[in-house]
Amino acid sequence: MPEFTISRRTMLAGSALLLASTAMPTIGWAQTPKKGGRLVVAADSEPRNLNPAIVASNGVFFISSKIVETLAEASFGGKDGLEPRLALSWEGAADGLSVTFKLREAVKWHDGKPFTSADVAFSALQVWKPLQNLGRTVFKDLEAVDTPDEATAVFKFAKPTPFQLIRNALPTLSSVVPKHIYETGKIEDNPANNAPVGTGPFKFAEYKPGEYYRLEKNTDYWGKDEPYLDEIIYQVLPDRTSAASALEAEEIQLAAFSAVPLADLDRISKVPGLKVITKGYEGLTYQLVVEINHRRKELADLKVRQAIAHAIDKDFVVKTVFLGYAATATGPVPKNDPQFYTADVPTYAFDVAKANALLDEAGYSRGDDGKRFSLKLLPAPYFNETKQFGDYLRQALAAIGIDAQLVNNDSAAHIKAVYTDHAFDLAVGPPVFRGDPAISTTILVQSGIPDGVPFSNQGGYKNADLDALIAKASETLDTAARTELYKEFQRKVAADLPLINVAEWSFISVARDTVKNIANTPRWAVSNWADTYLES
Amino acid sequence: MNPLRRFLRTPEAIAGIVILAALFAVALAAPLFFPGDPQAIAGPALLPPFQDWSLPLGTDRLGRDMLAELFHGARTSLAVGLAAAAAALAVGAVIGTLAGFAGGLIDEVLMRITDAFQTVPAFLLALAFVSIVGPSLGVVVAAIALGAWTGPARVARAEVLSIRERDFVAGARVIGMHPLEIAFREVLPNALPPVLALSSVIVAAAILTEAALSFLGLGDPNRVTWGGMIAEGRAVLRTAPFLSIVPGIALVLTVLGVYLAGEGVVETTAVRRGLS
Repeated sequence: MPEFTISRRTMLAGSALLLASTAMPTIGWAQTPKKGGRLVVAADSEPRNLNPAIVASNGVFFISSKIVETLAEASFGGKDGLEPRLALSWEGAADGLSVTFKLREAVKWHDGKPFTSADVAFSALQVWKPLQNLGRTVFKDLEAVDTPDEATAVFKFAKPTPFQLIRNALPTLSSVVPKHIYETGKIEDNPANNAPVGTGPFKFAEYKPGEYYRLEKNTDYWGKDEPYLDEIIYQVLPDRTSAASALEAEEIQLAAFSAVPLADLDRISKVPGLKVITKGYEGLTYQLVVEINHRRKELADLKVRQAIAHAIDKDFVVKTVFLGYAATATGPVPKNDPQFYTADVPTYAFDVAKANALLDEAGYSRGDDGKRFSLKLLPAPYFNETKQFGDYLRQALAAIGIDAQLVNNDSAAHIKAVYTDHAFDLAVGPPVFRGDPAISTTILVQSGIPDGVPFSNQGGYKNADLDALIAKASETLDTAARTELYKEFQRKVAADLPLINVAEWSFISVARDTVKNIANTPRWAVSNWADTYLES
Repeated sequence: MNPLRRFLRTPEAIAGIVILAALFAVALAAPLFFPGDPQAIAGPALLPPFQDWSLPLGTDRLGRDMLAELFHGARTSLAVGLAAAAAALAVGAVIGTLAGFAGGLIDEVLMRITDAFQTVPAFLLALAFVSIVGPSLGVVVAAIALGAWTGPARVARAEVLSIRERDFVAGARVIGMHPLEIAFREVLPNALPPVLALSSVIVAAAILTEAALSFLGLGDPNRVTWGGMIAEGRAVLRTAPFLSIVPGIALVLTVLGVYLAGEGVVETTAVRRGLS
């Protein structure tokens, strides 16, 4: 998970961890949801700030999406891939200057106060736009939010803003926080950031650092009969190998976000009572990317970048580094995206001879020691897979005469080295595709981004054509035309290689088979779990 | 009986020497048996040991030859262990000699500095140093030496304190030798034997510290190290335990060998001193 706090590994007192056995008799078939019970899940990080309206990241959502709800959630079957949460419907104006949300009525905050359009207006203007990591981009032209009545919010934009973008951003960016709690004092310092108050199916109950987070059932939830669970415990298990043993020992019932290492999945899938689930992360695709510092004169040469692309055996990476739990990438939009992906882009087959020829052509011939030039390679430390790919890339580059020197850093030092100090030649990064290229993908290649913005183009790449295309797409209102522009964007990126997309992967859950209704939405791990239940 | 024969009489010393000799042979032979990059991908990933005789110890998660990595890892471990010990002994002996021979204020200052270094656990010191400066082989050696020079310094000072009162030192003064010349040409060589007896402990500790640093990801990532290999294998400990066990055994044997050989040396010198 992209939240990197590490803490002591401490265990809950044994008795507190025992499954609360549900005393209800088994009536009818397994498909009738059972009420009650405690779900214990593994948490591998302890985010300090739990406010999803400020920190829109999966590490925060994993816990807080059960407490704080968004306007809409991603869905497999819904129109435009969405289903209603706090908003019942959304409508964009033809001129792209406003979006109207009809809100759910009779919804209460966890402290009993009513939820109204004023909360939405406050969240959008005071939190998402100025403070949120992703909202700053998407809502940059948001000028005002009109609230004609308590159940209507009208977003007004200063410049035409594509409705498609707003729609695609809803599941990730639209966590609504209570105005009456946040309106006094500084929003960033509000105590509710550590003990969130929302409208969701679960209330924040308790946090013991290094041990667990406890959420309890919201008996006033708007969903009929929901939630089914009485309690969710996030047990902190920062050591990746411990999640698998905890599952086997029945100390936890669910390990999401690939808490169980990929290499253990084969073994654990054979354990009776446990199942390996690859669904439920379709809306959370990570991309394995080679970031390139174009300030290096060798790397500024397209032929060299093409040679590097040809030197990487993507199938090997998928098969060996990801053990098959990934797909090869063709460009900056992942293959599993239903709206924007196009396969019609220049591709780079694994071909060492061709890579060598391209480097010779570019004028970088091998020295006496067989080396052409030397590069500094910084693999991001967040995932085992990014580190392993770093090891692989070093070998792949050695095969074409490029001597890559690995530099390992911890998370903070890596972000500073790559995104602030630009002290890298190549870096391995795991950016996230969030359903629309404008949310967090175009920023990886567009120019003019200030130093220090993480997960953005800090490689000094500048392409006026591409910048113009990105600018044009950001103000194109027609969905079809906008989609077509992003297809062109993919072609241009694959042709000019400001960065090299290698693979796309998502996460794996391992759960006991008594946990039901899981993985039923594309962002299931970070959805509200209102319909999840335990079969006794 | 000459010291060498006496040394070879002790069974632990022989065991230690045999292990160390084997280790040096492995380290020296690594480029002969496994020319080229030991980290090159040589076969299918996670091949268990003793399956394919061209890859006798199997392969790691990327398909790199474990035996080649083990051989080249021996070079790193020994190089770091010996270099760190040499640096620690050199620095310690010089500082100890200066403090003991000069006495007075210089002695006070140098010994308080030594105290300060001794109060910080050596591993923490190395950890902090490497994470600030950044991991590379030289930095790792310096980091380990940083925590290891205090022992030799104290022993050297104690020896020098007794040696400086001897007649030949007084004689050297009388013929007008420069004090520094007396300290380093007359006193230091005579103070060295007990300091050198510490070397086996320091080498063993240095090899372990290097492995621990690599295990925590603070080793030089461009070199094969045993600690790094153990760390690599940790994520798949349940599925492919050999990835951690094989370098673990190598590490245990090495430290044991150094320690046993060191024991032998200490025992031999102790017996000799007792006789003289």
